[in-house]
Amino acid sequence: MNRSRRINGVVSALILAAFLLFLLFPLYWMLLTSFKDNSVLFKLPPEWWPSNPVTSHYEKLFADKVFLTYYRNSLLVSFCTTAVTLLASTFAGYGFSRFQFRFKSLAMMSILSTQMLPVVSLLIALYTMYNNYGLLNNRGGLVIALTTSCLPFSIWMIKVFFDGIPIDLEESAKIDGASRFGILLRIVLPLTKPGLFSIGIYSFILSWDDFLYSITLINQDALRSLNAGIAIRYIGELSYDWSSIMTVCVTSIVPISLLFLFFQKYMVSGLTAGAVKG
Amino acid sequence: MEKAVRLDASGTGRASRLSEKTKDGLFLAAIISPALLLLLFTIGIPIVKSLYLSFYDVTLLRMKSLSWNGFANYRNLFADGDFGHSVAVTFRYVFTIVALQFVLGMALALILNGKIPMRRAIRTVVLIPWVIPTIIGALLWMWLFQPQYGIVNYVLQYLHLIDKPLNWLSDIHLALWAVTAAALWKQLPFMVTMLLAGMQGIPGDMYEAAMIDGANKRQQFWYVTLPMLKNTIQTVTLIACIENFKMFPLFWIMTSGGPVDATTTLSILSYKTAFIDLDLGKGAAIGAIWLVIMLLFSWIYNRLFSIGEGKGGGAH
Repeated sequence: MNRSRRINGVVSALILAAFLLFLLFPLYWMLLTSFKDNSVLFKLPPEWWPSNPVTSHYEKLFADKVFLTYYRNSLLVSFCTTAVTLLASTFAGYGFSRFQFRFKSLAMMSILSTQMLPVVSLLIALYTMYNNYGLLNNRGGLVIALTTSCLPFSIWMIKVFFDGIPIDLEESAKIDGASRFGILLRIVLPLTKPGLFSIGIYSFILSWDDFLYSITLINQDALRSLNAGIAIRYIGELSYDWSSIMTVCVTSIVPISLLFLFFQKYMVSGLTAGAVKG
Repeated sequence: MEKAVRLDASGTGRASRLSEKTKDGLFLAAIISPALLLLLFTIGIPIVKSLYLSFYDVTLLRMKSLSWNGFANYRNLFADGDFGHSVAVTFRYVFTIVALQFVLGMALALILNGKIPMRRAIRTVVLIPWVIPTIIGALLWMWLFQPQYGIVNYVLQYLHLIDKPLNWLSDIHLALWAVTAAALWKQLPFMVTMLLAGMQGIPGDMYEAAMIDGANKRQQFWYVTLPMLKNTIQTVTLIACIENFKMFPLFWIMTSGGPVDATTTLSILSYKTAFIDLDLGKGAAIGAIWLVIMLLFSWIYNRLFSIGEGKGGGAH
């Protein structure tokens, strides 16, 4: 009995180690490669630990004006998308949580099932529409498109959060004569802070991840966001300069890593609340 | 019903009752319309418009004068064989990646649900690949799979598992597996986190009762854990299927659908048709059939999960 338990323990520790290696080693390799000089990079066997780390790839990258433009565009687009998603989904989620109306569950179902639609079909039509309204090559247009890809799940997540807040507070505030917007803004929202964090982080991650919308709806270099810019500029030209590519990668995950570092608690609680109860 | 009525009832007296109700209606309209309008504008209208475009001869260069061409877009699709091929590739990819991430995710979640040292820290770091943007993951795995200097080939050769470097991304038989590995790396964390959250929602006395009845670990897994996780499993695997049906960036960056269409999925084929060959009508036709496939798929999927139970158990 005791021995078999110990063997079990060893086996699961080994499996766990293999999983951790698979999930974490690539990240270590990315970081390491970005500090390797090109002369070291193509050595076999490879260096597992940098004998002579160099920062020249980073210096080159930060001297590149175009890269900084991409980066700024990405930050701008992602922050705006997050802000708009937060506003729209909080209001809508509150409505779905607190009120009963005809076709409510049908509406919620349709909103969620938009996730299933083929993106390229949407893009084809969206492209022709944006073309007619002059929204192509417009960062605002991109924000609108990204917002709606964040909205369905955000509305659902925040609705689940609102459902968990007892309604009594709102009722007593109402008896005291507070307006409906006043109740929502001053009483309910402060209690929903973790939910707001969750959807904010979710939308930021999703818009920072976007590639398809930005390569389709934007084709001017000055307006491009990071992912599209990386794909167009760095892959073709520098196809063998892996240190530089890894440097770009490391740099582009900085905002996301910071978010992760500070807010991962909210990420997990938001996602699991939304998906597990769904 | 109950909640709205309770909010209403707190209004003062009968006279204000009707106006309270109208006010509620107006307030509700005001708070949900922004989201609904946004969704209508970038999803509702486009999906209808895209179905409509699939019956027209329309290219990116000539978008003003549309001419109806009946089912020609659809006929062309089935005539040239690419479509059927990409449906097969898509299903092969989706099935492989979801099955892999489900089985491995379950294994890892079971380990993390047990008593292990540094459990919290491990749970956190395991989640990291999930936040890495997909195209960054794609580039990273291209470097790992690089034929001459990539670490994967080096390690495999060092362990004598292969005797010469493999061209992971340009070999017809390997490319789909290479992309699947990158996808697994990125998606496994989400699967694990969800399954783990589901496991932690299972009350401990269920296991105690099973243990009293003499169930061993394996039996506890099959007769307690799995049935209790059913709703979670249904949700997360469906999410994974949908996400991977739509997967675009990994394929686009890592293989662009090659070599010789070996990794051309529906999303790559429709994107290429619409935005590289500039044939929007045909691209829209692919999207339309894809939509039908998705509807059928999720219908069958939900049916499969409701087999053997009277009416879906638990919440939703």
